[in-house]
Amino acid sequence: MSDANMEEKVEQATSSKTISLPISRVRLIMKSSPDVSCINQDALFLTTKATELFVQHLALSSFKNGSGKETNTLSYSDLANVAEETETFQFLTDILPKKILAREYLKSLEEMKKEDGNL
Amino acid sequence: MDGDGSTTDASQLGITGEYMTGGHFVLQAQDDEGEEGLNDHDDGNGSKDNFREQDIFLPIAKVARIMKNAVPQTGKIAKDAKECVQECVSEFISFITSEARERCHQEKRKTINGEDILFAMSTLGFDMYVEPLKHYLQKFREAMKGEKGISAVTVSEGMGEELADDTFTNQLPAGIITADGQQQNVMVYTTSYQQIPGVQQLQFS
Repeated sequence: MSDANMEEKVEQATSSKTISLPISRVRLIMKSSPDVSCINQDALFLTTKATELFVQHLALSSFKNGSGKETNTLSYSDLANVAEETETFQFLTDILPKKILAREYLKSLEEMKKEDGNL
Repeated sequence: MDGDGSTTDASQLGITGEYMTGGHFVLQAQDDEGEEGLNDHDDGNGSKDNFREQDIFLPIAKVARIMKNAVPQTGKIAKDAKECVQECVSEFISFITSEARERCHQEKRKTINGEDILFAMSTLGFDMYVEPLKHYLQKFREAMKGEKGISAVTVSEGMGEELADDTFTNQLPAGIITADGQQQNVMVYTTSYQQIPGVQQLQFS
């Protein structure tokens, strides 16, 4: 059956309680990986569902990791910290660099230059 | 990413990697506006040619809702955290997919199937997802089979109703035209077989 038909069938078969992310978009992301040709329906469903679980997992881990520091808010730095500290989330360290303010960065740049100058 | 005032690309900052101490750093704008990107809207054509691999994201509203339901009810989520998880999600999908594809390739298959995905999860440290996923997959399969089942029945068995075993209607065609061309008013009687003891069946020819 065509993609559109399959989407419809899946949407009907799975109520909003079962799946809440758009399968078509998930497929798009999967297909953007190199050398990926065909993805069967089960694989697509599993990936979409796994993504939901992943979001829950990441959000909760980061929140727990951060609570006490921040006032009940999940912040970017909580995510960056959990990526660094948890083995499962280490694949995210490249896209979750720790942020610093520009002025702090420039300050540390200055200091490094000084150190280089002293050598 | 365009337009949000921060970059992770060292070359764009005009410095080489050696200036970065220890971990990775990114410059942060004073005010993190975090405007919603084009990935929140369906562009309609769904073509991947317009986007780099890392630019395809799931809708932020849906991602944010899952996050909100995961944290304690009183908890809040910063806007940049939502955007960040949106990116992490795409990364996760790509991560799983490439691992699954690898296995597929090793086994000389072209289509990535459910087993490949589950295997990839296990290998990459997400084995805690595997059991729940199997359960969801079963429910999904049943639901899909139900859909297919219904449509199959309507196609092939839609002709006529099933006759019950204990009734038999014998219908004679109405409007019998006699030999001289005149249509006679014919009363058509149908008989239904009922076993009434002691009563003879009346028959009409």
